[in-house]
Amino acid sequence: MFALAWANLMHHKLRSLLSALAVGIGIMLMLVSNGLATGSLAEVDQRMQSVDAELVILPAQDNIIFTGGAPFRRGHEQHLCQAADERGPLAAEVIPVFFGQVKMGGQQQRLFGVDPRQMAAFLGPRRVLAGKLFERAGAFCDRLRAGEAAAPSLSDPAYQAFIADGLELVIDQRLQRVGGYRLSDELQIMGQVFRIVGIIETGVAGRVFAPLQTLREIALAGEPSASMYFVRLRPGLDPVAAADFFQRGLGSDVRVELKSDYGRLLRESFAQVSLYLNASSGVALSACFLFILLTMYTTVIERTREIGILKSLGVGRGGLLRLSINEALLISLGGVAIGMVLAFLVRGVLLVYKPLLTVELAGRGLAAAVIVGVVGGVLSALYPGYRAARLDPAVALSAE
Amino acid sequence: MNDELMIDVRDLHHAYTHGGVVEPVLHGIGLHVQRGEFVVVMGPSGCGKTTLLNIIGLMLTPTRAETVRVAGCETLGLDEALRTRLRRDALGFVFQRFNLLRTISVRRNVALPLGLRGMAADGPVDDLLARVGLAGMAHKKPGQLSVGQQQRVAIARAVVGRPALLLADEPTGNLDSANAAAVLDLLSEVHRADGQTIVMITHNEQLAVQADRVLHMRDGRILD
Ligand SMILES: Nc1ncnc2c1ncn2[C@@H]1O[C@H](COP(=O)(O)OP(=O)(O)O)[C@@H](O)[C@H]1O
Ligand SMILES: [Mg+2]
Repeated sequence: MFALAWANLMHHKLRSLLSALAVGIGIMLMLVSNGLATGSLAEVDQRMQSVDAELVILPAQDNIIFTGGAPFRRGHEQHLCQAADERGPLAAEVIPVFFGQVKMGGQQQRLFGVDPRQMAAFLGPRRVLAGKLFERAGAFCDRLRAGEAAAPSLSDPAYQAFIADGLELVIDQRLQRVGGYRLSDELQIMGQVFRIVGIIETGVAGRVFAPLQTLREIALAGEPSASMYFVRLRPGLDPVAAADFFQRGLGSDVRVELKSDYGRLLRESFAQVSLYLNASSGVALSACFLFILLTMYTTVIERTREIGILKSLGVGRGGLLRLSINEALLISLGGVAIGMVLAFLVRGVLLVYKPLLTVELAGRGLAAAVIVGVVGGVLSALYPGYRAARLDPAVALSAE
Repeated sequence: MNDELMIDVRDLHHAYTHGGVVEPVLHGIGLHVQRGEFVVVMGPSGCGKTTLLNIIGLMLTPTRAETVRVAGCETLGLDEALRTRLRRDALGFVFQRFNLLRTISVRRNVALPLGLRGMAADGPVDDLLARVGLAGMAHKKPGQLSVGQQQRVAIARAVVGRPALLLADEPTGNLDSANAAAVLDLLSEVHRADGQTIVMITHNEQLAVQADRVLHMRDGRILD
């Protein structure tokens, strides 16, 4: 039956190829859209995990992917710093991050506003490849911290001189390569001109860093707000218990999470989008399998006499159904193969034109494609196969 | 019941219904064919020969009959799965239009009945192709053969599984006289050498001389 199925497909090469191509395009859509989602999420998660901290403090309501603004105030930061047990403060370091937006390397990037003195927590073992980490900006922040420099009002001509030292950026190497940036390149962010002063190894939490204090000055006139915090705990503390403790102190509009849970939180935040993604690739795939169904159905009509011949040879209803399923499976598995090749091609093209996107094409997605192919193939063969099986042998034989 | 009988048909009636119109075609047919017999059925076009053959070949269920025993098995009331099994294991067909599968090779066509019984083997297939004079054609597609060759392939396919009963419906109807004679020689040879039971429909008086017995049909009845 398998050889016969193959022969039948080969007899209509173009039609078989087109059906397989239709499935392939659907599979490619599924693989790329899911691969893009999982790849991007995994990459963001990996980068967040690189921060030397155990806890993350996030706004309770927010979707952590599309989080914006800086809902945390001075009080939150104080609580995090001061929470203590009998042996002292729980936090060894509280690391506020203020998120901004910047368009670099052809797409919107999340700008990480970080205190220059806390860059070590982000850098970890990674190296500074060129330039320095916020040399002048560091001094600027120290002056602000010491209360030496009070900000003039924005309209004051002295404001530019005041803020100038703080307008520094540090970027990672991937973004530097993709955008072709060099040290001293200038970029407009929130109405100010920033200068790239350092390039660090890829893998750090953000692709673009700016001094926390600078962003606070520009956006909030120096208000010590934050979009989130990382907390590095005193050595020996149980992170779960500590998280609990902070959570109780901060109340319900804040959520304290283990950093190791960040990936899960990302995926949860993405669930709605991925529902939409899955639904749309599902619709695309259904259309593709309808195409197989149509092909198989046409085949049954065309081959009525052949089905009569098979029946005269003693092929039963099950055999004819299997024949139909085999043909559809061959088409759909061919389609899966085509879809995989196309997906890798699309990823290659994206890598050239959108190098900052990560498309993950690995085990689970590919296995899902095979399963979708098999299930779709079998389903789309059932009705045509049933029609073939039901044909009256004598009538089928007399067909033209 | 006589187990020597390959075909035992009694009081067989058949009517086709199309568009609400009932058209009686067979009127009380009785037919006995012995094992090893070569029987030819003749009669004018439209008298019901194909209908009779299709009923014997389990391709069609009769409207009414007293008995329709084929290869020792009562076929009335048999379910579709058993009818399929009986077709596969006990029957071989040769048709006027050859009815080869055009997407697969000559060898695959001939091997098909063996494959369906789970006895795939190239040896008997090649021997048989040599016997019908098509040794070099095994790899060709049916469409690349002449009509005479195609019908010989069809005969090879019909007998490869050594069916108890071979049914041939105007096997020479589409052939010129030389090819027709060759096909008939082949059938007679199978009959003589293998003791193959054959029921063959034909128009051609000259072809009937090879048969053990010739039956004449008219208007849905077999004449004595
Ligand atoms: N599938 C069918 N549906 C309706 N009528 C049919 C069908 N097959 C044959 N007939 C009719 O039955 C009669 C006998 O046909 P058939 O058995 O093919 O005769 P023969 O083979 O002797 O020429 C004809 O009148 C034909 O029109
Ligand atoms: Mg006829």
